[in-house]
Amino acid sequence: MIETVVWSLIAIIFFGYTFEFNQPIEIYKFGATGWPRVIILLLLLVTAGNLYHHFKYGSAIQKGRVGIAETDESPTDYSNPATLAKIIAILFTPFLFAYLLKPVGMYSAAPFFIAAVIWLFGERRWKWIISITILIYAILLGLFVVTLNAPLPQGNVSPFYDFSGFILKMNTLLQQLW
Amino acid sequence: MVENFLAGTSALFGDPFTVAIFVFGVVGGMLFGAIPGVSMLTLAAILLPFTADLEPAQGVMLFAVIYCTGTYGGAITAILFNIPGAPENAPTAFDGYPMTRKGQSGKAVGAAVLCSAIGGVASALVMMAATEPLANWAIRNIGPPEIFALVFFGLAVASSVGGRTIWKGWMSVLLGLLIATIGQDPVGGINRYNFGFTDLAAGIAFVPAILGFFAVSEIFVQAEKKATGQFDAPKVGMSFPTVLELWMHKFAVLRSILVGFFCGILPGIGATLAAFMGYGEAVRWSKNKEEFGKGKLEGVISSETANNAATGAAMIPLLALGLPGGALTAMMVAVFQMHDLEPGPLVFYNSPDLIWIVFAAMFYANLSILFIGLIETKTILYLLKIPFQFLAPLILLLATIGAYISRGLVLDVMVMFGAGILGFLLRRTGYSIPGIVLGLILGKIGEQNFAQGMQMVHYDLGTYFSRPICSILIVAGALTLAAGIYRAFSPASNSA
Repeated sequence: MIETVVWSLIAIIFFGYTFEFNQPIEIYKFGATGWPRVIILLLLLVTAGNLYHHFKYGSAIQKGRVGIAETDESPTDYSNPATLAKIIAILFTPFLFAYLLKPVGMYSAAPFFIAAVIWLFGERRWKWIISITILIYAILLGLFVVTLNAPLPQGNVSPFYDFSGFILKMNTLLQQLW
Repeated sequence: MVENFLAGTSALFGDPFTVAIFVFGVVGGMLFGAIPGVSMLTLAAILLPFTADLEPAQGVMLFAVIYCTGTYGGAITAILFNIPGAPENAPTAFDGYPMTRKGQSGKAVGAAVLCSAIGGVASALVMMAATEPLANWAIRNIGPPEIFALVFFGLAVASSVGGRTIWKGWMSVLLGLLIATIGQDPVGGINRYNFGFTDLAAGIAFVPAILGFFAVSEIFVQAEKKATGQFDAPKVGMSFPTVLELWMHKFAVLRSILVGFFCGILPGIGATLAAFMGYGEAVRWSKNKEEFGKGKLEGVISSETANNAATGAAMIPLLALGLPGGALTAMMVAVFQMHDLEPGPLVFYNSPDLIWIVFAAMFYANLSILFIGLIETKTILYLLKIPFQFLAPLILLLATIGAYISRGLVLDVMVMFGAGILGFLLRRTGYSIPGIVLGLILGKIGEQNFAQGMQMVHYDLGTYFSRPICSILIVAGALTLAAGIYRAFSPASNSA
C-alpha cells in the first residue's frame, strides 16, 4: 500500500510539473509534454497492476522471473537501534561529504570522509585508519592531480580554499620539475 | 582485403613510434576502463589535444585501440566490485558480481577476457570485409523509426529482467524513462523538471546515475550486511573457465556477435544497447532462465561478447558515412578534423592507408585483450583480498571523482549518492536496477527518434509498419509485452 502511495505521488508530482513546460513546439505536434505524460500514464497503470498483484498474490517472486540477485532478497534484522543508527549514518555520510565539496573542497574533505567510512565499516584500530587514509589520499593526489591534472572541487571558504591552492601550487612545481 | 590488411599490418608494426602508440592505447584503454570512476572517455579526452602532433593514421588508430580495450577494461570492475567501468559493462555485473560472491571471479574474468577478444576480433573481421556495403545498406534501411523500434524492443526485453514481478520490472523501466525526461526536451529545447536547479537543464548524466545505482548501492548493501553481522567477504577464485564450458556457450557467443554487430551499426545506440540486448537474448533463449542474475557464466559471456562486437560495427557509420555512434567515435571525428580530413565515403579513396592501419590496429588490439587480459587477470583478482572496510572508501572516492569530473558539477555527486540510496531501497523491495538504468539510457534516444520518426512519416503510425525492420522490431517488442501481460494475470505464473 505504501509503495502504491509513493508511486502515485511520484506520478502526480511529475504530472503537475508538466504544466510548467506545457509550451507548443512549432515543428512537433506532441510538444514537450507528450512523451513524459505518456510515461506517467503508463506508470499509473502499472502501479495499479502492482497493487492488484499484491492483493491477489502477495509479494512473492513471480514464477519465471530472471536476474534477481539472491543478495537483494536476504532478510535483515533491524531490531537493534544501534544497527539502524549505523545504517542511517552510512547512508548519509556520503551526502554530507557531497554537500561539503562546494564550500570545503575535495582536498580538505576527502581525508575526513575516508577515515569516517573506514570507521563506519567497523575498523577500530586507529593506526590502520590513519595509514589507510593517507594511502588512499596519496592515490587520489597521485592519480588525479599529478597524473591527470583533473579539476577537482577546491572549495570557496578559507582556509580550505587556501589549502587547495597550496596542493595545486605543489603540483605545478612538481610538473615543472619534469 | 587480405593484401590491404597485410599492408595495414606492416605499416602498423613497421614504425617503432606507431607500435609505441598502439601499445600505449592497449594498456591505457584497459587501465582506464578498469579504474572505477574514470573510463576510456576520460583518457580519450585527455589525449585529444596531443593527437594534433601525431600523424592522422596514428591519432585515429590510437582512439580506435582505446575504444576496443577500454570496452573490455570496464568488465573487470563490474565483475569484481559490481562497478561497471562504462554503461556497456553494466549487464556484465548482473552475473559477474554474483559469480565473484560465489568464489568464481577467475572464471568470470577469464570468460570476459576471452569473449571480449572473440567478439572484438569477429567484429573487426566483418568490419574489414563489409564496411562499405553495410554502410550503404544501413543508410537506406535504418532511420529514426527503426532506431525507435529497436529502443522499444530493448525496453520490452529489459522489463523482463531483474524485478521480483513483471509489474516491478515495468515500473523500474518507466522510472528510468521518467528520470530521462529531466532536462531539455530533445526537439524544442524546452526545460523540463529542473525543479529550480539550472544545472538540471542538461539532464541527469548517465555516469553518476550508473555509479550510484550499481557501485554506491552495492557499498550500502555490504555496509548493511556488516552492520547486521551478515557480511560474507567474496572468495578469491583463480580457476579459469574450461574449454568445454566455453564450447557449451558457443551459440550464446554467436548470437551476441550478431546482436552486438547490428546494434553497433546504429548511430547513437552502440555498445550499451548491444550489451543489454546480448544479455536479454541470452535470457530469452536459455532453458534455465531463473539462474540468470545469480552467477551464470552465460550472462557474462553474452554481454561481453556483444559489447565488444559493437566496437568494430560502430566504426562503419563513422568511417563510411561520417556519423559518430557515440562519445568516443565523436572524438575520433575531431581527430580527423584536426588533420583537415573528414570521415565519410571519400576517406576510403583519399586515405586508404589510414583506413587499413586503423582496421589492422583494431584487429590486433582485440587479440591483445586475450594475451594481456589473461596475464593481468590473476594480479587483479588479488584486489579482492583487500578488506572491504579499506576498499569501500576508495571505491566511494573514485566514484565521487568519476561523477564530478565529466561535467564539473557537485550536483552530479549528489545525484550519484541519491541514486545509491534509491538503488539500495529499490533492490531491497524487488525492483530492477538494470531496468531503471536501461530506461534512463534509452529514454532520450527513444524520444528523439520517435519525434524525428513521427515528423518523417507525417504522424502516420501506420507508415512505421510499412518499413520491414521497424515492423519486425515493433511486433517483437509487442509480443514480449503481451507475454508479460499474460504472465502478470495468469494464476499459473503467480501461484506459490
